[in-house]
Amino acid sequence: MASLITCPHCGTRPKEEFSIRGDATPVRPAPMAPDEAWNDYAHVRANPRGRIREHWQHVSGCRRWLVVERDNFTHEVFAVTDATESRGGAR
Amino acid sequence: MAYDYQTVHALEGTIGAVSERRANHLSVHRASAIASVLAAPGRAAEAAGILVASGEFEARFVAPGEWLVLSDVHAPETLGAELSVRLGDFAFVVDQSHGRVALTLAGPDAARILANGIGADLHIDAFPVGRAANVLCNHLSVNLARTGGDRFGIVVTRSFAGALVDDLKVMARSHELSVDFDTR
Repeated sequence: MASLITCPHCGTRPKEEFSIRGDATPVRPAPMAPDEAWNDYAHVRANPRGRIREHWQHVSGCRRWLVVERDNFTHEVFAVTDATESRGGAR
Repeated sequence: MAYDYQTVHALEGTIGAVSERRANHLSVHRASAIASVLAAPGRAAEAAGILVASGEFEARFVAPGEWLVLSDVHAPETLGAELSVRLGDFAFVVDQSHGRVALTLAGPDAARILANGIGADLHIDAFPVGRAANVLCNHLSVNLARTGGDRFGIVVTRSFAGALVDDLKVMARSHELSVDFDTR
């Protein structure tokens, strides 16, 4: 497990300050999408080895949701960004 | 039926004061005016500008668009209203004067004492004067601010204040630490 995460708001912190939600790659289907799409989104996950993107929340710090891009084999952390960045930053 | 309410500090009687002054000193503020300020959506820059422009407030960073505002000028009873007037629609203000406890840890070993429980880099280059952030101190999330080269301000929720002071005493075991209420 990556032990140091550099929060874009708070700086480098130990992983104990964070809580991990899971895979950040699934894209939420449209509300009226077929049941198969919703089933895949809610329940089906790949279990890759290597570079992954996850949602982490900095619960003991700024309490923001972050997207952590890391390698689950080498424990290397490539990037940590605020989860709102994909839609143009925090409101 | 009328009651007489009395303000009792969260640490009254349980602080275990070490009144003899030692090299490092942890002072617990008796009456601190504290408010939580959360900027309205898209208004973080305006709110920050207003907080900085007035020298009466000390805004400590919590999260993007969120600050803990302390004031020596305003009384705990009036800080919230004062901030609401200044900030208007730019931010939401909640008074925290009796909900949080403010402490100051000062002394040559202050950073070393804190490093025994905090996993953040507290070197002056990494955490300079004026910087503030929420950090995990042992199992408690506290707001830590560097107010001087060897001075730190800590703001903790009221119910955890006793545990934090106990923790700080343990963290300072190999250093000289005195603990007492602020004279103010």
